[in-house]
Amino acid sequence: MGIALEIYRTCRETIESHGGGRLEKVRLAVGELSAVEPDLLIYAWEAVVDETSDAAAELEVVWHRANQHCSACGESKERSEGSWLRVCPDCGTPLQVDGGDELDILDLSFESDGPDDGIESRDHDGETTGSETSQ
Amino acid sequence: MKKVVTVKRRALEANEERAQALRTRFAASKTLVVNLISSPGSGKTTLLEATVQGLGGELTCAVLEGDVATENDADRIRALGVPAHQILTGGGCHLDARQVEGGLADSGLPEVDILFIENVGNLICPTTYDLGEDFKVVVLSVTEGDDKPVKYPAIFSRAEVAIISKSDLLPYVPFKLDSVLSQISSLNPDGETLVTSSLTGEGIDGWLGLLRDRLAAKRRTTT
Repeated sequence: MGIALEIYRTCRETIESHGGGRLEKVRLAVGELSAVEPDLLIYAWEAVVDETSDAAAELEVVWHRANQHCSACGESKERSEGSWLRVCPDCGTPLQVDGGDELDILDLSFESDGPDDGIESRDHDGETTGSETSQ
Repeated sequence: MKKVVTVKRRALEANEERAQALRTRFAASKTLVVNLISSPGSGKTTLLEATVQGLGGELTCAVLEGDVATENDADRIRALGVPAHQILTGGGCHLDARQVEGGLADSGLPEVDILFIENVGNLICPTTYDLGEDFKVVVLSVTEGDDKPVKYPAIFSRAEVAIISKSDLLPYVPFKLDSVLSQISSLNPDGETLVTSSLTGEGIDGWLGLLRDRLAAKRRTTT
């Protein structure tokens, strides 16, 4: 629930800094080692946006698997679904785990209140990204 | 008109920024900060009682207690003459860095050698929130069942130290200690695991030694 609230807060800040509007969808990268369960997060999200002006806003989860590599076998090892074991299933050597801990807001779409001002988009740090598109 | 904006921001960035500010502050004061996480009733507070008594006179300690309600835990620590402050989350299932900042500001806790943060009893949500600690400790009591590490893998893989508590009860419960130790080492090959009983004192010396070593290491790196 706390995570859903933080995401919503960031969405509102971002939309306000772009002239205001109604949130339609936010995309979130979630790694399998982030300890976040997508279904529960979406459930919490619905509770957070309920009775706000963004009540219909959708949270889309983009799932990221972790890559794990065994230095002894010299190859990447398959991770069974839901397994967190960090040792090689074949030889027992500790695995090098790369990624899978993502919990990142990727982008959001919103219905703008203002006129099409033609101003180039800026991301959260105020740097020009050029990624804003009007549709 | 529909607009799409790239955000590319950690979902918990606000918490992470505050946690980093806390970490800088604790580095300046050379305070070792330990974030204790477990289910309710695993014996975190009893372990802390044994810990502050064991370190008394040698190192200064303070405790931040996170609970949904009541001052009970902070009262227990204060009864031992150790400064403690209760953070009441009012229903929240974990502590976040903002609450730790606020708790430190409200409490006027003195600068100490070791600050213990006892998180809200919960093996899930506290795992995700950085509090600016040096390391997390997960406490699992032998009465909770011997399949908990694989059931709650996130905390057991992230906590640098795992403590199996209430070892005095091992003869009375069907708890396969070997299995639990192997689950934990599979989840966290680099972690340390201790078996303790706050009642009999088993393993407490090892725990106190670990705290002394970590504090000494932090003082070396931040000097």
